[in-house]
Amino acid sequence: MTKKRYGMAIDLRRCVGCEACTVACKQENHTPPGVAYAKVIKEEVGEFPHVRRHFLPVLCNHCENPPCVPVCPVGATWKREEDGIVVIDYDICIGCRYCMTACPYGARYFDFGDNYNQPQNEFEGRSSPEYGEDRPRQAGSSPIGNVRKCTFCLHRVARGEQPACVLTCMPRARIFGDLNDPESEIARLVAERRGFRLKEELGTEPNVFYLE
Amino acid sequence: MKNKNSVIAYWTLLSVVALVGLAAIALRVFQGMSVTNLTSLIPWGLWVAFYIYFIGLSAGSFLISTMIYVFDIKRFEPIGRIALFSAFVALSAGLVFILLDLGHMERFWTVFINRSSTSVLEWEIHFYNLYLAILLSELWLLMRRDLIRRSAQPGLVGLVCRLLTFGSKDLSDESAANDMRMVKILGMLGVPVAIGVHGGTGAIFAVVKARPYWYTGLFPLIFIVSALASGGALLTFLYAYFGHKDEQHTSLVVALGKMVGGFLALDLVFMGSELLVGFYGGIPDHVAVYRAMMFGPFWYVFWVGQLLVGALIPLTLIFNKYTGKISGWVGAASALIVLGIVGVRLNIVIPPFTVPLMPGVDTAYPLARFAAFEFKDWYLAAFTVAIVVFLLAAGLLIRHLSQLPTRPVERWLARAAGLVVMLGFLMMGLRFLGVGTPVTASIMGVPAKLPLFFGGVLRANDPSFYSPSALEWLSSMGVIALAVMGFSLGWLLLPLQEEHPSEPSTTPPSPFHFKSSYKSGYKSGNGEMGTQANGESL
Ligand code: SF4
Ligand code: SF4
Repeated sequence: MTKKRYGMAIDLRRCVGCEACTVACKQENHTPPGVAYAKVIKEEVGEFPHVRRHFLPVLCNHCENPPCVPVCPVGATWKREEDGIVVIDYDICIGCRYCMTACPYGARYFDFGDNYNQPQNEFEGRSSPEYGEDRPRQAGSSPIGNVRKCTFCLHRVARGEQPACVLTCMPRARIFGDLNDPESEIARLVAERRGFRLKEELGTEPNVFYLE
Repeated sequence: MKNKNSVIAYWTLLSVVALVGLAAIALRVFQGMSVTNLTSLIPWGLWVAFYIYFIGLSAGSFLISTMIYVFDIKRFEPIGRIALFSAFVALSAGLVFILLDLGHMERFWTVFINRSSTSVLEWEIHFYNLYLAILLSELWLLMRRDLIRRSAQPGLVGLVCRLLTFGSKDLSDESAANDMRMVKILGMLGVPVAIGVHGGTGAIFAVVKARPYWYTGLFPLIFIVSALASGGALLTFLYAYFGHKDEQHTSLVVALGKMVGGFLALDLVFMGSELLVGFYGGIPDHVAVYRAMMFGPFWYVFWVGQLLVGALIPLTLIFNKYTGKISGWVGAASALIVLGIVGVRLNIVIPPFTVPLMPGVDTAYPLARFAAFEFKDWYLAAFTVAIVVFLLAAGLLIRHLSQLPTRPVERWLARAAGLVVMLGFLMMGLRFLGVGTPVTASIMGVPAKLPLFFGGVLRANDPSFYSPSALEWLSSMGVIALAVMGFSLGWLLLPLQEEHPSEPSTTPPSPFHFKSSYKSGYKSGNGEMGTQANGESL
């Protein structure tokens, strides 16, 4: 079996900026305030009456050459050989936040231990399914004090499901799949449609493609 | 005896700050990083700035000591051990700061088992260890004979010195020559290591291609040059005020001052070059950082802290015909440089984060947050007591210090400086008690603007605004106070200045030598100085 290269294509003509992906991601991963693996950059162009709203959904690009990986002093974050997903091991990460400074896309977040409710409610205290691990959110223990980021919903993909943001997207603007498989929808879309990636000049080779 | 009062005031002051700081650190340890004002946009703040500041002080002091022992600049010999000891204290302080900054402090030791050869930070950690080993062995070798001599003394000094000799008893001249040879070898090893220590610290930033402001080849060099400036300034300040006042004192202070001034000037040239190239290139992300630094909400850190206090005033004092010859003024100028470099470090770490990596990425999702910590009622009482004690002690000390200079102008200057420092601490304290937060500000009106520097609550909705939280400040001040206490203790107990073998010293030197410096020359007391100085004091 050949190695997978998971990636995402985001069709900017379809995205309506509803932020359902942001919400779905927060629900799926139980992320605290200030952490949003998926979010949508909104931009207003032009002046009334010729105004347009542009939307740019952003998430971790799971770069081919991720600058966030080599800087980690303890090797807590790496790009997985088998599917190219950039992961963080919460048990190793010492929380120095060097990787956050190194990511050119602002895709990494620090879990400061904040909660939406004081004291945290049951939903917030429940374990986040990230990496398929059972980690109830308690003060002082991981992932609090760690850097967190989008995992391409690793735990769902392992079950053969789509990432939460992809599943929830109403106009089907997000297409997830294996870029190494020429027959996959994403590989065909990336090959056929005009697209771009963010900050290509840095040589990070993002695996998230934007289709125009 | 007035001097005794001020010694008590000195230690009280430091202990109060250290105790409050330790309480703040305890809160930080038990309640996690949520006590900071950091956000995911601005993940590094005050603590990282202080970390590179202290590492810089350390590497700078060390490199200056190598001038003596490796490059044989005999003239600077009187500051050799002070340089090594302050390098040690500063390195320890720097490491405490980076420890405070870790999200999982309890895992710090894993850097030794979870190796990652691609990380500059990982290499730095090993550099720090090597550096620490070289530093301490060098210091020990230099002090060895004096330690043995001192161990005959009664009391604490004797005890500490006895322990530190590690059983060595050899007082012969051959052993001393041996020591010096070792010191030279260690110093030679130390030069690249120290350059690695601070140049590498610079490289931690310089390799981050995501931030154009850091991503320049000049960056590690700037780190080294400004380290030399700050470390040299620290030594000049210490030697000017606390060093033995013998016949070469003034000329050595002046020479040191000139050297520090030179490094500072070189630092300015480097910075100017960075600015010119950056502005000429006009890459939006790059220029935006400069704009944030110069015209953002903390413009004064750059213009007042970094340029005026940290460069212009000291350079004028050092290279001026009149003040440049008086050790007191050169020492004061050096103290200003030591302070000003804090501004340099803050401006290295924080401004690049305030510029979003992509337009809109900062506001796409609310990232703003600010310090949250649980605050028990009795802290308030304790803290109020601490403020009162602090103010009393500071008042005493300022009174004492402001009586030292003979000229009224200098006396007033000393008073004003003292008041400014006190006011700063007072504001920090008020902020800690919640004065100046939006709630109280709406009741009290104007003062909300005042303590802006000491807490970030005022613009809590702006994600690209970071100002350290009260706990960040207090714990930093605590670490600094502890470092100063450690240094003073070392100064009292260890033979940091060369002793005169014929006169066994009886009392430890007081940290307040400077009292006599202005009025009556050096007061005898430790018998360490040459006959010349003794004659002067009698
Ligand atoms: S987007 Fe950022 S966090 Fe994700 S792989 Fe690339 S550099 Fe790393
Ligand atoms: S925060 Fe964690 S993952 Fe990021 S560089 Fe530091 S140790 Fe590595």
